[in-house]
Formats: sequence, structure tokens, C-alpha cells
Amino acid sequence: MGLLAAGIGAGIAAVGAGIGIGMIGKSATESIARQPEASGDIRGAMILTAALIEGVALIAAIVCLLIVFLG
Amino acid sequence: MLRACRRLLITTILLFAIVPGSWAQQASSAESPIDVVGKVQDHNSLDVAGLHISLPRIILADGQWYFYGSTESAVESGNFVQENGALVPSDGSEITIDMSITSHLVFFWIAIALTLLITLVMARKYKRGAGRKTEPKGWFQNLFEITFVFVRDEIAKNNIPDEKFRKFVPYLFAVFVGITFMNLFGLLPWGATATADITVTGILALFTFLITQWNASKDHWKHVFAFPGVPWPMRIILTPIEIIGLFTKPFALAVRLFANMLSGKIMIICMLGLIFIFTDFFGTAVGVGSSLLVVPLTVALYVLKAFVGILQAYIFTLLSAVFIGMAAEEHEHHEEGIEAHA
Repeated sequence: MGLLAAGIGAGIAAVGAGIGIGMIGKSATESIARQPEASGDIRGAMILTAALIEGVALIAAIVCLLIVFLG
Repeated sequence: MLRACRRLLITTILLFAIVPGSWAQQASSAESPIDVVGKVQDHNSLDVAGLHISLPRIILADGQWYFYGSTESAVESGNFVQENGALVPSDGSEITIDMSITSHLVFFWIAIALTLLITLVMARKYKRGAGRKTEPKGWFQNLFEITFVFVRDEIAKNNIPDEKFRKFVPYLFAVFVGITFMNLFGLLPWGATATADITVTGILALFTFLITQWNASKDHWKHVFAFPGVPWPMRIILTPIEIIGLFTKPFALAVRLFANMLSGKIMIICMLGLIFIFTDFFGTAVGVGSSLLVVPLTVALYVLKAFVGILQAYIFTLLSAVFIGMAAEEHEHHEEGIEAHA
């Protein structure tokens, strides 16, 4: 059961992070297309936001790993 | 020339595909399961080029310090016994502090030593005038200057307000270069990724946390304990949230770097493990066949991991700079009432 829970948890975390980072990518490419001269700033903001989302997803993944190894 | 390169590449891939296949055959007959987690764990020994180098054990147990050259000599001395791979005092007491030198620590030191060496050598070069009065000479100085200017302008200057950023450039640069080295050491044969260890990243995040709080402006503390511009009952909710927020930032910083490096390493081992699994299930022919697919995939993963290693170092440095900048910033006009929290 622990393995099942970890698998489902990791999957849901991946879904959430995927949606979040996908939306960042979408709006970043849109705004770069609209304003190519600001692409440097937009890329920086994109990486920063993606890193913040990734952090949350990775905390979920670590919790799943802990379930596998400890639970 | 291009054709020769292509032929070489294909030969190498074929070679590297067949060798693990035949090795997998031996391994599966020897009944030794692949230890995925053991590859990323911290060890008390280094395995370099077939050599097994034992690292010293320094243990505080029952108020007494024990020094041993290796785990084996600790067991031989009779004071300790091995239980499930961990050392336990033989008289039944518990280890207070285990200060043993481990493989991750060794690679951590190597990364720090390299960072120090590079910066000191370069500082001497700049002091003599090369690069200040003349153009930077050689690929190494150019690379150094690009990296340094990138950290100073893109990371520090953009995120830390006013002239304060100069004070933090040395820390940010050291962290950036050090983490890059540590991440990339994991890609070397026999290397260990020191950053795939929560204690290493935790210490790095702790430094960022301490520097952030030490250099925090008065406004930062005001935002934490008495949030400006809101009615006072709101502060009962906001103050605990802000205090928790102080600690979640470095925590997320540590976990992000740790998990990224750990997952990259596990992914590579699992990919290569597919060869062994296929060999075990369907025989050597399928194992070798699958390795034709798996080995190029692993090469691609390696390239991705090299990129991620540098990217994560950048993200760690960038977020450190953002946190320091947020704390060091001084807000000027709170009289407006609904000033957004930066």
C-alpha cells in the first residue's frame, strides 16, 4: 500500500508541476513573441518562477521517496 | 572528417552497448541485485579506478573520541561492531556524534578547494593588471570573466537593490562555482554528487539564511512582526505566516537542489538498470538489443544532467540573491496603506 501511495503521490505531483510549468512556458513564449526585445528579462522571470514551482513538486517527490524507503 | 567522427561515434555506441550487455549476463548469473539507492548514498570509502580507499572514522561515543583509519580497523579494535552496514559500539551504548569523513564530504572539499584555487589564481592575475589594463588573455581568463560578470550583473545587480549588491558578489560567486563543481563531479566516473545529499544542501541553504537575516533591513523585520498597512487583527494571522515563511525559503532552496541532483542520478541508474532487467527476463540477446536503445538514451540523459547541474547552481544562486535582496530592500512609502509586499 505504501508503494501504491508513493506512486500515486509522485504522479499527482508531476501533473501539478507539469500544468504549472506549462502555463509559465505558454505565457513566456507568448510575451516573447509579442515583445522580442524583452526576451532576456522574460527568460529570467520564467526560470525563477519555474524553479519555485519545481521546488514544491520536488518536495512532494521527496515525500514519496521517504514513503518508499521508510514507510 | 565528419564521416570519420560519425563512424567513431557509432562504433563507440555499439561498443558501449555490448559491453554492459555481457556484463549484465555475468551479474545476473552472480545474483547480485543493483543497489540503486546505494549508488547515491554517502559512503565511508572512495572507489576510484578499481581501488578501494577507506576514509577515516571519527566517532564520539560515551564522551570519548575514537579515531580509526577505516571502518575495518574500527571493527578490528573491538570497540565497535557492524550492524546493517552501520557502526555500533560493542558495549551497547549509542554513538553521540559521527564526524567520519565520507565520500560526499571529500567531493565537497575538492569543490571548495577548486573554487578557492581558481579565484585566488585569477585574483592574482587581475592584481598584476592582466584583464584590467589589457584584454583578458587565454580561454580560462575569458571563461572566468564571463562567469563572474554574469553572476555580478545578471544575478546580484538585478536582484539586490542599490549599491549593496557588491558586498554579496563574493558569496554568490563562490556558491555558484562551488555548486557547479559539486554537481558536475557526479558525472565523472567514480565521482559522487555531493549535492545529492540533504546535509550538504542544507548547510549551503543555512548560509544563505544567515546572510539574509544578518543583512536584513529594518523594514524586513517590520514586515515580519508588524505587517504595515493592515488592520491589527490581521497581524495575528500574518505574523506566524511570515515567521514560517522565513524558514520555508531556505528549506525549499535546500530540497530543490538536493532532489534535482538525486533524481538525476537515480534516473541514470534506472535507465542502465533496464539492460539488466531485460537480460534477466528475456536472455542475453534481448539485453544486448535493448542496450542499443538504452545507452544512447543514457548519453542524452547525461547531457541533460550536465545542463541541469549548471542550471540548478544558477537557480540556487539566483534565489539566494532574490532572498537577500528582498530582506535588504528598504521600502520608503508605507503611508499609502496597501503597499504590496515585495
